[in-house]
Amino acid sequence: MKFIGEFHEGFHISWDAVRAHKMRSTLATLGIVIGIVTVTLMAAAIEGLNNAFMQSISSLGSDVFYVQQYTWFNATESDYLRQQRRRRPLQMREAEALVGQLTLAQAVAPLAYDQDPVRYKTRKADNVLIIGTTDGYLQTSGANISEGRFITPFDAEGGLPICVIGSDVASNLFQGDMALGAQLKIEDQSFQVVGVLEKQGSMLGWSLDNRIIVPLRAFLKNIWSRPPLDINVKAKPGVDLGEAREEIRQTMRHIRHLPPNQPDDFAINQQEQLIEMFHRTTAGIALVGIFITSLSLFVGGIGIMNIMFVSVAERTREIGVRKAIGAKRRAILLQFLIEAACICLIGGAIGLAIAWSLTFAVKHLFPIEMSWPVVVLSILVSLMTGLVSGFLPAWRAARMNPVDALRNE
Amino acid sequence: MKFHKPTLLLAEIRESLSMALSAIAAHKLRSALTLLGVLIGVFSIIVVMTAMRVLKNFVESNLSQLGGQTFAIQRWPQVQFGNDNDWEKYWRRKPISLANGRAVEEKATLAASVGIEGDFWQGTVQTRFQKKPNVKILGETPGSFPAHEWLIEDGRALTDGDVDSARNVCIIGSSLAKTVFPLGTPVGESLKLNGINYVVIGVIAPKGSSLAGDQDNFAVIPVTTALNRYGRWWEDLTILVQARDAASYDDCVEQVRGIMRTARKVAPDQPDDFELYSNDSLIEQFNKFTRSVRIGVTIVSSIALLAAGIGIMNIMLVSVTERTREIGIRRAVGAKKRNVMAQFIMEAIVLCEIGGVIGVGFGIVGGNLLALFMKVPPAIPFDWIVLGLLICSVVGIVFGTYPAWKAANLDPIDSLRYE
Repeated sequence: MKFIGEFHEGFHISWDAVRAHKMRSTLATLGIVIGIVTVTLMAAAIEGLNNAFMQSISSLGSDVFYVQQYTWFNATESDYLRQQRRRRPLQMREAEALVGQLTLAQAVAPLAYDQDPVRYKTRKADNVLIIGTTDGYLQTSGANISEGRFITPFDAEGGLPICVIGSDVASNLFQGDMALGAQLKIEDQSFQVVGVLEKQGSMLGWSLDNRIIVPLRAFLKNIWSRPPLDINVKAKPGVDLGEAREEIRQTMRHIRHLPPNQPDDFAINQQEQLIEMFHRTTAGIALVGIFITSLSLFVGGIGIMNIMFVSVAERTREIGVRKAIGAKRRAILLQFLIEAACICLIGGAIGLAIAWSLTFAVKHLFPIEMSWPVVVLSILVSLMTGLVSGFLPAWRAARMNPVDALRNE
Repeated sequence: MKFHKPTLLLAEIRESLSMALSAIAAHKLRSALTLLGVLIGVFSIIVVMTAMRVLKNFVESNLSQLGGQTFAIQRWPQVQFGNDNDWEKYWRRKPISLANGRAVEEKATLAASVGIEGDFWQGTVQTRFQKKPNVKILGETPGSFPAHEWLIEDGRALTDGDVDSARNVCIIGSSLAKTVFPLGTPVGESLKLNGINYVVIGVIAPKGSSLAGDQDNFAVIPVTTALNRYGRWWEDLTILVQARDAASYDDCVEQVRGIMRTARKVAPDQPDDFELYSNDSLIEQFNKFTRSVRIGVTIVSSIALLAAGIGIMNIMLVSVTERTREIGIRRAVGAKKRNVMAQFIMEAIVLCEIGGVIGVGFGIVGGNLLALFMKVPPAIPFDWIVLGLLICSVVGIVFGTYPAWKAANLDPIDSLRYE
């Protein structure tokens, strides 16, 4: 109760002091404003970049395993070279065996890729990704059908010449014509369009909508007879991912007849690897950015400390009087700490407002995002700056000898 | 208006300087904190610029293994920053063949030397002492040695005879030589490169290692020998051309371009179907890539200086208020407004400069920690030191002017009466 009273009183005194020296307080606040604006913008930029990255790889799915010939990232060059030499591509036979043996998988989709020009009537589209796969792809990729249907198990089994097209293909190649039922030509083979996928956006700059999906058997028959395969495996919901991964690994080793002393000659990739890689590369950049921007906040803090020292020196008599009539050290300390914290909090609030409006201005140029954690963090940082930089002057004021202080001219 | 002699001006400067110094000395803590702000601002600029310079040195020493006045011709660009939309374009180009290299060798009259190089990935070296995997295998001609600035430490370089008759000889880098032949000279010894016997005829003097790895861990064999053995997989060569001198460099590049276009039958209206690069063009590309980064970092780090300037202005205002009486007395005994103004601006500049000098010192040390880490020679960005100190003065003048103006415009009578 007594503490609250002291706090209340300290707040009043310091508010009066701030108002008594308007110019001085404004300039001190301005220093903090500059610091908070730069730090907040930097934090928002890092956050925005992170979110943009996460969003761009979200189509990979966190519970999908990508069984491939090579791992996405190699620690060293010699690992890379070893992989390049030793590993065999995944084959159709292995994919089929995997489909039959996995128990923890919800869906398994072998995939073969090719890039071929696609023709429709007189129009032609280059750089369209042709994917040969089975009905499981709809689940492993997380894609949705907007018109028509996806490849059914019967289509996949029979290798019918049909295809499902991405939304970009639908808009670019058909340009408003009815896509369903039309005949496309890939490598001079006709494929009938049975479905159109919903728009998915892009991943790491790759469009996910500029693709055509055909049954894997049709792909093998008409486009490429022995392609290297990827196998996407989606784990059943609720299954431990480590366990699912281990099952895939053991099954693959079994299928490939690997003796126990041999390392894996395939790779199981996950979204996590990308995230880890991204964090590793951006952590350094983020650290340097935060360091450089926090320097300006530090300079602002020094300005506060300096002006608080002046303020303590000017008000030595006032402190003496307060102490003479019974103020405790704590009360004096509190008074000056509150003054510093007030200046910083006001500066922080103004800085946040400016940073917030700036993020709106640059939002369409740069992925920047102001989130609640960033806001709370910058308020806390400004408060901390006030407390840290105000502490030394306040301590000096609190430890003054009342007799000397009263005598001070 | 009285005309001032230069001596009088000098005396005035000296007087305001000594007053500034004594004012700074009178308030040690306050001055120290104020200049700490400037110090940090300047530090952040200088440290970033020094680090950038160090990085640039690092790239220059690593990106290129070419000697002076040398350029190379390849099918693929050496480095690509940013997206590789042109990948297909390069991929469709014809590989650079040995015949192309021979054509340049024969017809380039302006070139001091022409080398033909093939990079044949990596192999395992086996000698009677030691086995070493991951050794880079290069197929070369005699002309490659000056282009790479390779010096022969022991034995001899390749000769035309070695290349023409595709002999099984090799020249090895010095660190490789020390590893696989720990005892005695390697010259005349035989070694197995991927299981095939070669006779070592020479050792190349070390170029040292860097963060990018050991630069002396390679074996050179005649390009013809290499093509006989690995050519079916990897027949894409690099042609290295060294010009006679800097004056004829551009002519030499043009001549070689013409020869290549003829040899590869490029129609006059078609662009080159090969890439030309030299050290300079690589560095230029790097600079272009880092320009926006540098500009951004400069802006961010100068913001700290802005905050410091505001701190200076604040403390100068306090100082003016405290010294109102002093100002009144000076005015009363005949100091002009101008003198008072000079006194306070001088105080601000001196504060900033002291902070600036210390900040530059710390910045250079801080930036060169990176150089120590990357094992490149330290860099001192003289232009930025000068610029940094200049910026300090500007900060002092800009943020000291308002307090000084306020001091100069105090009414002498009021300020004498001030308590």
